[in-house]
Amino acid sequence: MDEKILTAAEDNSEAVADTQAGEAYVTPADLNDAAVIDSKTGLLRTKRKRVSLDSKRARAGYVFTLPFILGVILIYIPILLDSIWFSLGDLKQGYENGNAVSWIEWNNFKHYISAFTDSKGFVVSLFEGIQQLIFEVPAVIVFSLFIAVVLNQKMLGRAVFRAIFFVPVIIATGLMESINAQDAVTSSSGGGINDGTGSSAGAGIVSTLDIERLFATMEIGGELVTYVVELVNNVYNIINYSGVQMLIFLAGLQSISPAIYEACQIEGATGWETFWKITFPMISPMILVNAVYTVIDAFTRTENVTMKFIQGVYTNRPYYATAMYWIYFIVIILIIAAVAGIVSTFIFYQRKD
Amino acid sequence: MDANRPVIKESKNRIRVDYEGKISLKERLLSKVKTFNTWIKVIVNIFRFILMLGVSYVILYPFFARIAGSFMTREDVLDATVSLIPKNFTLDTYKYIIIENHYFEALWHTALVALMCALIQTLVACLIGYGLAKFKFKGNTLIMGAVVFSMIIPHKTLQLAFTQHFTRFDLLTVQSWNMKGIIELIFGSTLELTDSFWPLFLISLCGLAFKNGLYIYLMRQFFKGVPDELEESAYVDGSGVYRTFFQIILPLSIPMMITIFLFSFSWQWTDQFYTSLFWIDDIEKFYMMPDIYRNIPDTLEQYSALAGWDIYSNVIQNTAGILIILPLVIMYLFCQRYLVQGIERSGIVG
Repeated sequence: MDEKILTAAEDNSEAVADTQAGEAYVTPADLNDAAVIDSKTGLLRTKRKRVSLDSKRARAGYVFTLPFILGVILIYIPILLDSIWFSLGDLKQGYENGNAVSWIEWNNFKHYISAFTDSKGFVVSLFEGIQQLIFEVPAVIVFSLFIAVVLNQKMLGRAVFRAIFFVPVIIATGLMESINAQDAVTSSSGGGINDGTGSSAGAGIVSTLDIERLFATMEIGGELVTYVVELVNNVYNIINYSGVQMLIFLAGLQSISPAIYEACQIEGATGWETFWKITFPMISPMILVNAVYTVIDAFTRTENVTMKFIQGVYTNRPYYATAMYWIYFIVIILIIAAVAGIVSTFIFYQRKD
Repeated sequence: MDANRPVIKESKNRIRVDYEGKISLKERLLSKVKTFNTWIKVIVNIFRFILMLGVSYVILYPFFARIAGSFMTREDVLDATVSLIPKNFTLDTYKYIIIENHYFEALWHTALVALMCALIQTLVACLIGYGLAKFKFKGNTLIMGAVVFSMIIPHKTLQLAFTQHFTRFDLLTVQSWNMKGIIELIFGSTLELTDSFWPLFLISLCGLAFKNGLYIYLMRQFFKGVPDELEESAYVDGSGVYRTFFQIILPLSIPMMITIFLFSFSWQWTDQFYTSLFWIDDIEKFYMMPDIYRNIPDTLEQYSALAGWDIYSNVIQNTAGILIILPLVIMYLFCQRYLVQGIERSGIVG
């Protein structure tokens, strides 16, 4: 409706312009039933006007995204192309008219081939990284969803818990991540400061033996046992990695209308049913977002096994390492596509009308 | 209302209705205790509380351990009988790091960089997010794709190209093809932007810096949740697109912007990749937070030959870590309310 009013307003200015150009005079009465005029005087006029409003909006869109467009064209794409070119060639140095010059010489994908054939280090670390990812993604998603659901409920000390749970988002990134990674004090391996019991938080909370004993009576496979043990022992890392996901889930939970829950309660649904039939489908688009984000985060983290390996290569052979990074990037894209494909099979989009 | 129930007027605008069948508080409580559901609820509540407490402990323990360790002397660190509470309390570790590692210099530099970058990034993410969310134009999806691409690509893939491009900065030029860029064509020479704030500011300004893809995505989702009617009514009242954005949309999105600002500020603060990429001069060192952590103060370095150095050096680095995050923690204490609020009210949907 508002759009129509806008179009009418534009009509007015156009009409004035038209009169100045010496065309037929358009009365305000004609403008009121613009639709009739349009169908009689030809579609071209209305169409042109609609396009002019749309293109006005489109122009505004370009203006808003201008910084990004400029940045991508002027800075980012050249950097990307350079990076690809570096990965495809070797640095050569020589003399031209007495001046020292250096250039990149094409070498037939030598770096790409030797990344796979030279040593096993790259491929091994790549698989190790993927293995860690397969472990991490479900753990982070389930954990962050669970915590978000709990933090969304009314409970004692909720504000305090929220404050504590989002500490890792702010603090445990970048520099602190590397401090965490090589810190022997708070992990079990070094054991400098003991907290009295000989074990410390986050690491080595349970031993495989305990879990095995627990699971032996339940007749569950060995893979699950190792998974659970790893899960519990890595709980500190998983908490650290799931901060942003928690926030996104929390936002998603907040956007579910309370009326739906009320209706459920009146119909006599239990909390369990409400979760699986309401919360879970409604939050499922967020699961896709978070799954993709977790993959990206896990892969581009400095402490990632593969990233560390390639960075080790980089110090001596930067061009070779750049090629490795590009292979790695392609692997990431493939995995993201796979994860998105898997997750989107059970996604539910609420119709908004 | 029953006529025979006495209505007592308590004050000007409050009344109380007394009726005979009123159940006393004690009885009501008793009847609640007897039901099974109440017990289930209580048990679930207790269980949930303990669980939350446990997870909080796991999150906070490393910080406590580090703080405890930072006050210990070398003897305490190596003494197995000393746990969280130091026997010989000392502030020497802090003292040496602050003095010998140029802590305040690094603090000032990092604060400057982080604040400027966070401000620029928040505003730019807001602009781009709004443009992507509310306007239909050719290449809209392409730009969103580019945003996602810039998020997916590991920034280290580009590190070599980044350093080279900013040591000889030029626009629209692929250096390995020996192209001449716009700046060289106009001014005759390229610019050297390394060892300055410019590289970071420039990529922040374009929304291409660290994790900016995430900010743009969050902003876009947020603006998608803002009803179109709001802008349309502003347009009807004669306000243009840009005025509507600055006077109506921008004030509306402040909670979300605070969240983004907190993200970008703290992630820029603890960033060690870009700072090492763009500040490469070792002689006129530009001290930033990573330097605090990487170097061990000279006075404490003398223990490096002695036994237990790997543990002690860890304690020193942890102390540096505390000094690095201390300003962030203080900021977080004041702002954590807004962090959750901003994202909660955002109404972000898939």
